[in-house]
Amino acid sequence: MDDGKELIIADILKSIERYNPDHLNILEAYVASQAKNNTYDLEANLAVLKLYQFNPNKLNYNITHLILLKALTNFPHTDFTLCKCLLLPAQMDDDTVKTIIYLADILESCDFALFWMKVGMTDFVANITGFYDSIRKFICHVVGITFQTIEKDYLVRLLGDIDGYALASWIKKYGWKDEGDLVFIASQDNNIKTKNITEKIEFESLAQLMAGCL
Amino acid sequence: MYAMNDYDDQDYVYDYDGHTGDPQLDAEYLYNSHHSKRAIPDEVEKFIKHFCAAIQNGNVFEIQNMYENLFPSLSEKYYEKNDWPSDKDIKFINDKNFLILYKELYFRHIHARSKNPSLQMRSNSFLNYCDLFNLILLSETPVQLELPDIWLWELVDEFVYQFQNFAYYRARLTDKSESDKQDLNTNAAKHWNILCILNVLHSLIDTSNIKIQLEVAESGGDPESVAGEFGRHSFYKMLGYFSLIGLLRLHSILGDYYQAIKVLEPIEIHKKSQFTHIPACQISTSYYVGFAYMMMRRYSDAIRTFSSILLYIQRTKQLYSSRSYQNDQINKQTDQMYHLLAICLVLHPQCIDESLQQVLREKNYHENMYKMQCRDMDVFRNFFIFGAPKFVSPCPPPLNGEIADFHKEPIDHQTEVFLDEVRQQIELPTIRSYLKLYTTLPLEKLAAFMKPGMSEDDERFVSNLLINLLCFKHKMKNIVWTKGPSGLAGKFQSGSELDFYIDNEMIHIADTKVSHRYGDFFVRKILKFEELNRRLHQFKI
Repeated sequence: MDDGKELIIADILKSIERYNPDHLNILEAYVASQAKNNTYDLEANLAVLKLYQFNPNKLNYNITHLILLKALTNFPHTDFTLCKCLLLPAQMDDDTVKTIIYLADILESCDFALFWMKVGMTDFVANITGFYDSIRKFICHVVGITFQTIEKDYLVRLLGDIDGYALASWIKKYGWKDEGDLVFIASQDNNIKTKNITEKIEFESLAQLMAGCL
Repeated sequence: MYAMNDYDDQDYVYDYDGHTGDPQLDAEYLYNSHHSKRAIPDEVEKFIKHFCAAIQNGNVFEIQNMYENLFPSLSEKYYEKNDWPSDKDIKFINDKNFLILYKELYFRHIHARSKNPSLQMRSNSFLNYCDLFNLILLSETPVQLELPDIWLWELVDEFVYQFQNFAYYRARLTDKSESDKQDLNTNAAKHWNILCILNVLHSLIDTSNIKIQLEVAESGGDPESVAGEFGRHSFYKMLGYFSLIGLLRLHSILGDYYQAIKVLEPIEIHKKSQFTHIPACQISTSYYVGFAYMMMRRYSDAIRTFSSILLYIQRTKQLYSSRSYQNDQINKQTDQMYHLLAICLVLHPQCIDESLQQVLREKNYHENMYKMQCRDMDVFRNFFIFGAPKFVSPCPPPLNGEIADFHKEPIDHQTEVFLDEVRQQIELPTIRSYLKLYTTLPLEKLAAFMKPGMSEDDERFVSNLLINLLCFKHKMKNIVWTKGPSGLAGKFQSGSELDFYIDNEMIHIADTKVSHRYGDFFVRKILKFEELNRRLHQFKI
């Protein structure tokens, strides 16, 4: 999608026009283009769901699926929850929506091995360019905040049994170190340490009180 | 003369006799048949005349006194069981603008008195709001009206409330008469339409230029310079500001938490400003913002928002002790926020102000918090339902579908979304309770704690534990607002009191140690002592 159209969309979203169902076509095309071109615009997607909420007769299930799948690609942000809150009972009853919600649930619970198994049984993620790598990015994020060193085999499993070449490129991307059986993620001592909260009382905050006692 | 529970019967009376289908005519019929027989007490007639004069003269202090004190006390004295005189009954007034304002109060009183006003009343109230907003928004020059800010706030808040109440009413099909149902699909179909509500609020915001005014004020400039012809008037400026809060509430009850926070972008909610002098508005803002944060899993932000407003309420609570409709709402919202705060603290334990801890202790929240830590989903559910706003659907239920009650669907949906989130992290409190005891702990040992009786080398348990630990880290690392006007912006932080990392097979734990605080304790005792001293001095022996 060229910049001109995005500009139009930004204008629509800024004003009361965002509730005008006449814009659904252009917004839905925008969702499809996000899926195809691996771009992402949460606000526009929520606006589409809101238009469905206001005009249930205009509900489009395929677009709903794309929006939800795109929200999966933006973990660890809670976009998926935001989308889910706007779904109508009819959408919640849709089988594909149910499956996507199930996948999101597994991802949120960080059961990544199960996720790869379940996602392999579906065919709809093929419509989302860069879907798997977006999920791997999220997994790397969780690994990055959790581990100092991690077993290499385990890391490979978390990332969906990727081959050595792909693993090496993820390790490089995040600046981790391959140490044979282990992968060194980062030194966490500095980020994660015991905090001591001691009471500090500023003179200013007591000045008034003390003045009152005179 | 009708009392609260007479409403349903009355609807039927009109169906058989004199019901025209036109809400305006029906309402007239209703007024004529009931009200004209009732004499207006002298005191009330005098009040209405003075009220009208005060508004014509733009005497804000007098208006405020009449609005805040006299109207409620007369309501209590004469109209606890009846409606105020309708506009048809106060023929001695012929100021059109005053009549619209008067009717706003008249319908508001009906909504407050009867929890379930008739369809006609709801429709007429809507039409009166249309008159009012047309008067304000379609005028070529700013209308010459000065109303106290408290009225303007309650006007906008009530407008959204009546929409919410109508949407809830509309979704309940089983308690409606045939003619009401028909009216809902025909005459009243466009009443309280969501687009209309949005349009009013957006128009009030645009006309007042409030967004750009707030931005300019924020950057140190003079808001007057960008206010425009309308926005220069306090009347429009305040309506614009309150409409932003109205949108916050509206988006929240539709489940759109992103927009809810987004519409507040020009406002820094934790900052004092010229707009923050209406306590009910402040409290309501924090309630919806905190709730939206909680739904976005931004627990740190939710806890900060709730704490700061609850402390404010604690400091000023003597203001809300008298019984009034405003205070009832404030007290209810306070209770709701303590419930939500309790949920947030279970999911995201964090240090909060000692005086709030004390309330949680004294009011027995701790027992329920303990139950939630022990995975009691029912307590989560009850706390959520009590604490959450009343969600509604923006659309009427399907026209020719089944006759059922759809009004619970929106709250059920939001509850399920929230409980899904809780279920995903239900193991975390248990893990946290073990981790708290150690500074380092091997994975296998923790796995053995979690599943007593397993053999030390059972890999399945360890791999399950690892999943939970990953989940712990993921769920506890959230966006936290740091600075700037956008409540949506922020940085990923681990704000909870316990954190850890895994080095191959060893868990390294970092806890937060809080040393005893004495400052608060002494400050409170000093204040108490002062108060005692002051009272002693007042004694005349």
